[in-house]
Amino acid sequence: MSALSPVAAVTTEDLHRAADRRRVHWLRSRNSRLLLLLTLIGPGILVMLGENDAPSMLSYAATGAQFGASFFLPFIVLTFAMAYVVQEMTVRLGTVTHRGHAELIFDRFGPFWGWFAVGDLTLGNFLTLVTEFIGVRAGLGFFGVPPVVSVALALVVVILFSVTSRYWTWERLTLGFAIFNLIFIPVALLAHADWSAVGHAFLSWGPLPGGFTANTLLILVADIGATVTPWMLFFQQSAVSDKGMTAADIKHGRFDTAIGALLAALAGCAAVIATIPLFVHHISAAKLQAAQFAQALEPYIGHFAAALFALGIFEAGMVAIITISSSSAYAFGEVTRTAHSLNRPVREGWPFYVVLALIAVVAGTLVLIPGAPLEYIVLIVNVVAVLAMPPALIFLYLLCRDPEVVGDETTSPLQNVLISAVVVFLTGSGLLFAVTILFPHLLPTS
Amino acid sequence: MGTSRLTSAKENSPVAQDAWVLDVLEPDQLVGAKKEHYPRARLGPGTRILMWAMRAYVIFMLVVVGYQVWVTVRAS
Repeated sequence: MSALSPVAAVTTEDLHRAADRRRVHWLRSRNSRLLLLLTLIGPGILVMLGENDAPSMLSYAATGAQFGASFFLPFIVLTFAMAYVVQEMTVRLGTVTHRGHAELIFDRFGPFWGWFAVGDLTLGNFLTLVTEFIGVRAGLGFFGVPPVVSVALALVVVILFSVTSRYWTWERLTLGFAIFNLIFIPVALLAHADWSAVGHAFLSWGPLPGGFTANTLLILVADIGATVTPWMLFFQQSAVSDKGMTAADIKHGRFDTAIGALLAALAGCAAVIATIPLFVHHISAAKLQAAQFAQALEPYIGHFAAALFALGIFEAGMVAIITISSSSAYAFGEVTRTAHSLNRPVREGWPFYVVLALIAVVAGTLVLIPGAPLEYIVLIVNVVAVLAMPPALIFLYLLCRDPEVVGDETTSPLQNVLISAVVVFLTGSGLLFAVTILFPHLLPTS
Repeated sequence: MGTSRLTSAKENSPVAQDAWVLDVLEPDQLVGAKKEHYPRARLGPGTRILMWAMRAYVIFMLVVVGYQVWVTVRAS
């Protein structure tokens, strides 16, 4: 790309990334397929399990409590299939360009859209982080941990993971945390659900208790609109680039994303199944929040399973805090042209680490302030995400069709049709969701 | 992993260390290369219209969200 002096160009960040790439080359030369796959997976799983955050898991729990084994089980699988279609584009962009999403938007479409993307992402991420800290506080609150201790613990984990100054270490530690998202599976097993009803729901895409009402439409639109959120696009492309993946790794990147989507769909469905006892016993979930689900479930699934559920909410919030704060720092560095890598030593890339820590610290602190308007933040977070989604999806789509950016990895005609359909569907659903939030009385609810 | 003692000894030299990095990484993966940017996209008429539509959408949504925040704050 340039006539840079090779010796002068090598930095500590390059050395760290090169060490990771040397391992990939070595495994590829030895034809160690499994080890190669285990080495290259990461961003896809993290982004999908990160999206299974505390509010999402609580939304799945509310769905199970309200509708039981229903249409929503296969619908969750469908939403993650759509998420795969979108996130696969970030794999191609990241591996071919070695640039983050914000950086490419800034370069190709100008400063207005670059700054808009980062501004909206930062605001959306900050508000989302507040909801994650609420989840962390509530999850550990089930065990009697004081809120201040929960928030402090989460912040210490985020900061300690990041200051390892090695993307590889950060990724493996976070993956270790993220895999506990599957904790909802044993909870589902302990819920003693009617598995024939669950199987019937998957095969028949039904039933839909109460029929297809405006209220059901709102839930559907909310689920679709929340499936792919802006931070996911920015995070995965930046992580793929930071990990050092190249066009030769696209197949593994796709597999990583598919595994992530599958695991996330499994955990989501498990959360729905786990709360079916509330549906069976006609316990209203309308007013239940966070760890209250665990308390409500305890008489039916036992203390152990309820404790696992609360731990799951804590874990979901924790992984999202780690990944979302990283996505903010990546985007900030990409647009301000400063360091934006977890491979950069703290003393060299301190603005990156300061942004990463600061957004988490401020969000965590807000949760501890008595009387803070947390409920309103939970509402606004969706609106802000919806505001950013159409431009983010359209830029992703345009960049992936641009041969000057992705070279030979442009989308095929068949992919184009699929991606266009998903982008239009997600954008439309997001807009409809925004309308329902901003004008709640526009649609009848029954 | 998979490297000989001889290779490790060579890598102790700063220049040799840089050489293996350049072997392993693609040229535009280097931090120095990332300082160069992609040129602005050449937009066709359809894409230009799309861009202006998105600008209008963003401005409209900012006004709507701002209004909604103002209404809610006043009501609370």
